[in-house]
Amino acid sequence: MTAHFVVRWMRFMWLSVGMIFVVFPLYWMATTALTPRAELFKPPYPLLRTSYSLENLIELLSATQFLTFLKNSLIVAAGSVCINVVAATLAGYALSRFAFRGKNLFAAATLWTYMFPPILLAIPLYLMFSTLGMRNSYSGLILAHVSISLPLNIWIMWQYFQVVPRSLEEAAWTSGASRFRALCEVLLPSAMPGIISAAIFAFALSWNDFAFAFILQTDIGMFTLPVGLATFVEQSAIHWGLIMASSLIVSIPTFALVFLMQRYLMRGFAIGK
Amino acid sequence: MSTSDSPREGGWVAAAIGPALILLLLTAYIPIIYALTLAFYNKTAFNPDMDFVGFKNFVWLLKRDDLWMALGKSVVFTIGSVGFQLAFGLFFGLLLNEAIRGRAIMRSLVILPYLLPTIVIGLVFRWILNPEFGVVNQILLSMGVVERPINFFGGLDVAMTSIIVTTGWQYGSFAVLLILARLQSINPRLYEAARSCGAGTWRCFVDVTLPNLRTTLLLIALLRGIWMFNKFDLIWIITKGGPLQATETLPIYVYKIAFQDFNFGRAAAGCFVMFVILLAVSIIYFKYFNPTKEIEVNR
Repeated sequence: MTAHFVVRWMRFMWLSVGMIFVVFPLYWMATTALTPRAELFKPPYPLLRTSYSLENLIELLSATQFLTFLKNSLIVAAGSVCINVVAATLAGYALSRFAFRGKNLFAAATLWTYMFPPILLAIPLYLMFSTLGMRNSYSGLILAHVSISLPLNIWIMWQYFQVVPRSLEEAAWTSGASRFRALCEVLLPSAMPGIISAAIFAFALSWNDFAFAFILQTDIGMFTLPVGLATFVEQSAIHWGLIMASSLIVSIPTFALVFLMQRYLMRGFAIGK
Repeated sequence: MSTSDSPREGGWVAAAIGPALILLLLTAYIPIIYALTLAFYNKTAFNPDMDFVGFKNFVWLLKRDDLWMALGKSVVFTIGSVGFQLAFGLFFGLLLNEAIRGRAIMRSLVILPYLLPTIVIGLVFRWILNPEFGVVNQILLSMGVVERPINFFGGLDVAMTSIIVTTGWQYGSFAVLLILARLQSINPRLYEAARSCGAGTWRCFVDVTLPNLRTTLLLIALLRGIWMFNKFDLIWIITKGGPLQATETLPIYVYKIAFQDFNFGRAAAGCFVMFVILLAVSIIYFKYFNPTKEIEVNR
């Protein structure tokens, strides 16, 4: 009984130490973001802050280009989500419902693409887009983001369509529905969880991407949030209160995702880089 | 399933696969082929024409000490980071596999860093490890552990370690997820059997848990290994390869040839080297784990 008690206490202690390591950086980000301006320039900082203010957040939105970066990020992510959902749903459908020549090759090639590092693709894309006049454009960056999210999304959709029983579709055929109608009215609703996770994954990769946006977008007016935030550190007028406030806002989608989808995440979230 | 016999089915396949195929060709395969070809040409920002130069870019690259140093840094970074992630994964995987109060919330918190944008992680760690105002130095100083603040990302001898710990914090949860999933699928009878033979906690771990985790640990090491080897964003955001070249791994070096020297031919030769390494690891991955097989099985 006592030995058991000791084991439990040891486990608790270790877990506490580990959790502090995991949570502290996030806690410190939030605390710094909410520190009043006057106290920001007076270190040392107390570990537990008693006075909070929204000054940093307000200054961020009014005195920096944060909103421009936010707009660019949202446009690019939306474009990437749309292309991903359409292309991955169609490809997943074909892979799960038809046998065709080169299917295994296509599947393996798709998965292999997923291992390509962004830097390896970004250098040739930079040169190609320079020639085509697609650097510093939304369409160029959207295509670049599709290159990293589409491969895994094809796999996600393939998996989901496999779970949807073929008999559902066949029942629709026998009652006279065309293949296209059966796809739209029977298959797509059943594959909705897959489509949603594909959309989330496409959004997350686009929202998080630094390498492509950093290399392809050289005009500050076209920067997405990650690249824009990286320039904050170099500007002397921008202090750490602002930088942590912007980091906090950029993290919001992640916080939302994790807390809304706890159970789903534990079943094994898609592999990310 | 039969092969598509009717022309109508063929049309369906083409229409459904087409968009994805075209997108992947345009955004992944053509760029890669272009980069691999470019390695044999002289192309700089100042010379718009492409002149075929054979292996000249490779000869230039392979003769550089910088390349070998970058390769060495990449290996140190990869081993250090993957090792840290595996330790992190085992630590939390084993602790969170037990029934403890608050387990669900702790699991979510452990997964959080993995889904955060890299820029956030880079900036947050630069801030907490800042030599002047960083909270970690503040704590270490007040506890008397150090006399002067540590320049975590700016010190020649500590920069690499600091980067490794940061990547471990970011990517460790990938290992936690996979290890937890595997631990839950171990048959509890195995533990009962081991205990009935008189095995204690440690022997259970060595004889039951570890052998069952072997494949998972290998998979994590392989996938994370190739991704860490090619890691660009976090290192660039935090140190840009510095101080001096203390954290200049291969991707950082290749980036610098392309966008600081503007010599794209030589950078492409660097890409070629990265590609060959990627190819070698992916062959092992596809042969050993055969991921295509796994997915074709209906659930």
